[in-house]
Amino acid sequence: MTLFILKRIAGLLALLLALSVLVFFFSRAIPGDVAALYVGGNAKPEQIEQARLELGLDKPLYTQYLRYMGKLFQGDMGISLRTHRPVLKDLSEKIPMSMELVLLALVLAVLLGIPIGGIAAVWQGTWVDETIKWFSAAAVSIPIFFLALLLQLLFFNFLGWFPLQGRLDSMLEFTHPIELLTGFSFVDSLVTGNLTAFFNVAWHMVLPVAALTLGPLGFIARLTRSTLLDVMTQDYILAARASGISEGVLFFRYGLRNALSPILTVIGLSVALLMLNTFFVEMIFNWPGIGYYALMAITSLDFPAVMGIAFTIGSIYVLANTATDIVRRVVDPRIK
Amino acid sequence: MMIQQSPILSVENLNVSFEGARGIFQILEGVEFSLYPNEILALVGETGCGKSVTAKSMLNLIPQLSRRRTGRVFFNENDLLKLSNRELRQVRGRSISMIFQNPQSSINPVFTLGEQIFRLIRMYLKDEIDRLRKQQNLKEKAAVRRIAKERLAEVGLTETDRLLKSHAHEISGGMAQRYKIALALLGSPAVLIADEATSALDVTVQAHILKLLKKMSQKKGTAILFITHDLGIAAQICDRVAVMYSGRIVEVGPTLDIFQNPLHPYTRGLLQAIPKLGEDEKLVPITGMIPDLADPPTGCRFHPRCDRQMDECCRKRPSYCSVTRTHTVACYLYS
Amino acid sequence: MEMVTHDFKKLAEEALQDHRKAQVYNLRLLLKKKLAVFSLFVLVIILLSALLAPWVAPYPDQGKGAVNIEERLQPFSKKHLLGTDIYGRDLLSRVIYGARVSVFGGFFIVLMAVVIGVPLGLWAGYREGISGAIIMRTVELVLSFPSALVAMAVSIVVGAGSMTALIALIIPWWPWYTRLVQGEVLSLKNMLYIEAAQMLGYGRIYIIFRHLLPNILTPVIVMMMLDIGPAIIAIGVLSFLGLGTQPPNADWGLMVWEGAPNLLGEWWIAIVPGFAMFMLVTAFNVFGDRLKEILDPNQP
Repeated sequence: MTLFILKRIAGLLALLLALSVLVFFFSRAIPGDVAALYVGGNAKPEQIEQARLELGLDKPLYTQYLRYMGKLFQGDMGISLRTHRPVLKDLSEKIPMSMELVLLALVLAVLLGIPIGGIAAVWQGTWVDETIKWFSAAAVSIPIFFLALLLQLLFFNFLGWFPLQGRLDSMLEFTHPIELLTGFSFVDSLVTGNLTAFFNVAWHMVLPVAALTLGPLGFIARLTRSTLLDVMTQDYILAARASGISEGVLFFRYGLRNALSPILTVIGLSVALLMLNTFFVEMIFNWPGIGYYALMAITSLDFPAVMGIAFTIGSIYVLANTATDIVRRVVDPRIK
Repeated sequence: MMIQQSPILSVENLNVSFEGARGIFQILEGVEFSLYPNEILALVGETGCGKSVTAKSMLNLIPQLSRRRTGRVFFNENDLLKLSNRELRQVRGRSISMIFQNPQSSINPVFTLGEQIFRLIRMYLKDEIDRLRKQQNLKEKAAVRRIAKERLAEVGLTETDRLLKSHAHEISGGMAQRYKIALALLGSPAVLIADEATSALDVTVQAHILKLLKKMSQKKGTAILFITHDLGIAAQICDRVAVMYSGRIVEVGPTLDIFQNPLHPYTRGLLQAIPKLGEDEKLVPITGMIPDLADPPTGCRFHPRCDRQMDECCRKRPSYCSVTRTHTVACYLYS
Repeated sequence: MEMVTHDFKKLAEEALQDHRKAQVYNLRLLLKKKLAVFSLFVLVIILLSALLAPWVAPYPDQGKGAVNIEERLQPFSKKHLLGTDIYGRDLLSRVIYGARVSVFGGFFIVLMAVVIGVPLGLWAGYREGISGAIIMRTVELVLSFPSALVAMAVSIVVGAGSMTALIALIIPWWPWYTRLVQGEVLSLKNMLYIEAAQMLGYGRIYIIFRHLLPNILTPVIVMMMLDIGPAIIAIGVLSFLGLGTQPPNADWGLMVWEGAPNLLGEWWIAIVPGFAMFMLVTAFNVFGDRLKEILDPNQP
């Protein structure tokens, strides 16, 4: 078991290394002069030259890469060309903002998706099952950008129930600013007793989280249903039934437990899906998270920021996968 | 093998049908046989003749078929077909147990063998656990574990500590089947149904398991309904044989009688198809194929393949008649 | 011995006949569920419109990008059934032309993923050994990177365009098929009939084509069917970001982006193409689900 974990962690580190190489060389491949952008608009050629030397852009690529990696280990991702602040600082502020949405969406998708899939499995063949199957198929078929816009249209424009964009009403930014502790405004506002802000943030979160939740919810429900159906027809369920175990115990303790492994895989995949979708949701709902930051970084060709983001997101993705692998192994002893 | 005794399990006119897309399949029709205490009865037939369905239907293990069963299955003065689910659950595993063809896939793969046997012990043997605790002053877990190890040793399993910690995919087929037999006998059931229990095992392991079954049957006084497609295996440990064809019992009798004096043409055909070592004769298969359940032959289902076919055979199903006191057959040749 | 092989052959033939009968039966099953039939209907309509776009679209030039400023921003009307966009182009025609990119793009990506992934999977599964290991390690490597980022990165580097987007998407797509096929081959390899064929002296290539391939076909086809939807969405995503089809060509993702600024007023410009994408993908998924139920019920 420990050997398995060690092997996985070794794989993880190898992947992170490969990721860093890819990110670095990819960013250098983007058209654009880094030095010129660093200095800004009306730069004189000497200034650009000086910037080039400072940034070490005259050195060969692999030297630049090593320099970058060296700094990375010290936690220095460079200075954002746009905000002129350390990228790491920017990221540490923005990531929790996105995680608020992602984590909430993930939790909702799991808490709702598994029971829905379970219900469909138990009532297989009935209208309940058919409806759930259709709903799940539709849920995974909506492109995220369309869904976000649709939600805005319906719930802001036509019904006026929820706000259009943003995290907090701009007025409240002044009157009831949220003191950031964890970086999760949802949590922080609650903890610091700033209830006005709390409810306002919650109100702003409804649409973005709804948009993010739908896809994974459908995905998880579908997979839970089919895995449960597959499990319930296995020999060991029949044998357990023949030994007098009740249907309820059979379903929950045997069925669900055995279905856990593939479901966990799906949850892992959903994390990836969510991270991609966050990008669009933040764009459309103007939520100040990492997706929004990434958008700004890419359009302004902010290389340090782009690299930092790509590396961070890639790492989270790889980490999530590895974690899922390890948890699956714990849950299902058959996996080698 | 006392015929004077009353049967512990008595199946009367059991009919099971299934409504499929192509029509109604009559899977079992008028199945009748009895199982006496302490005996080992073989239920023999080709694949698809319904022997497995018979056993599973008795305990209502096939949800899709539960509403399409008629007839009576008497066990301990109760008709199993009329019991509620809760009552039936008390019977399963405790009074009537079942073991299956594929032992390793019959064990839940994500739990250890220990976890699974402990659960059943806690379900069936509360009294014994209490007794052990008082007598030997043990904690509950220790008492359960002690019982588990005892029972596993009874079926010939060694290194029980290691076994209790392992998973289904880590043990061999023979070990798995022994484990399953131990589980099946935990509650000291009156009846054990072995559904092709040796068919998936190696020949040498088969022999051991058969011996084990016979031994445990005698030791615990458990009657065994031994379902198999292999007459040869049936001959090894069974006292009586019931031959089944396409959803019906066609002949029942003591093993020796069946082999020396097979009455039903199908039984004769089965015996002729068994290769005998040392003989040069060609194998003689039974011509034709087993009937399509959605469109079976009228009357006696075997008549299209029978070399002694008569006019009445296609009109009405032959009823059972006792040729001797212990040997019954359903064939117009004898009525 | 002779007699035995004869009967064997006959049994095999009968089994094959039963299999064929079963396939016809499957088709009937497919048509039984109304929802599946309906989605098939939707699929056929959209596919046909896409194919016959120049004849089906009411304003083909506008569909292709011709501008029509006088009639811009119009809601649903008799003249323009789905309204017009910010350049006055008939939305219905644009949607029909957009279907071409989405549908054929989706097919293209999945097809190429199969063309690349399946043979690799067959090889890796049947041969194992070093070449097989290299293939599978590559698969794992590609699959462990976030596919969206990879596709976006390639598009940015190579330069945006519809063809680029398609090729960029094939890169993260093919490994799924290799993994699926390799797994299937590994489990089938040990089946007795393969051993029998090997013993009878049939060559490797023959075995792969005649015996393994047909059994692999079912899960691959199911995966393909269920993959087209995600492929279409992926194309839409790239176009929405401006990394796919370029204006003035019609593309659903691009159209949604173009219509987004006017969402609160002339909402149909963004919503109609988005809805079209939703309908098409749902149809593929529902139909694919039904297909899966029939062909491959044992695979979760």
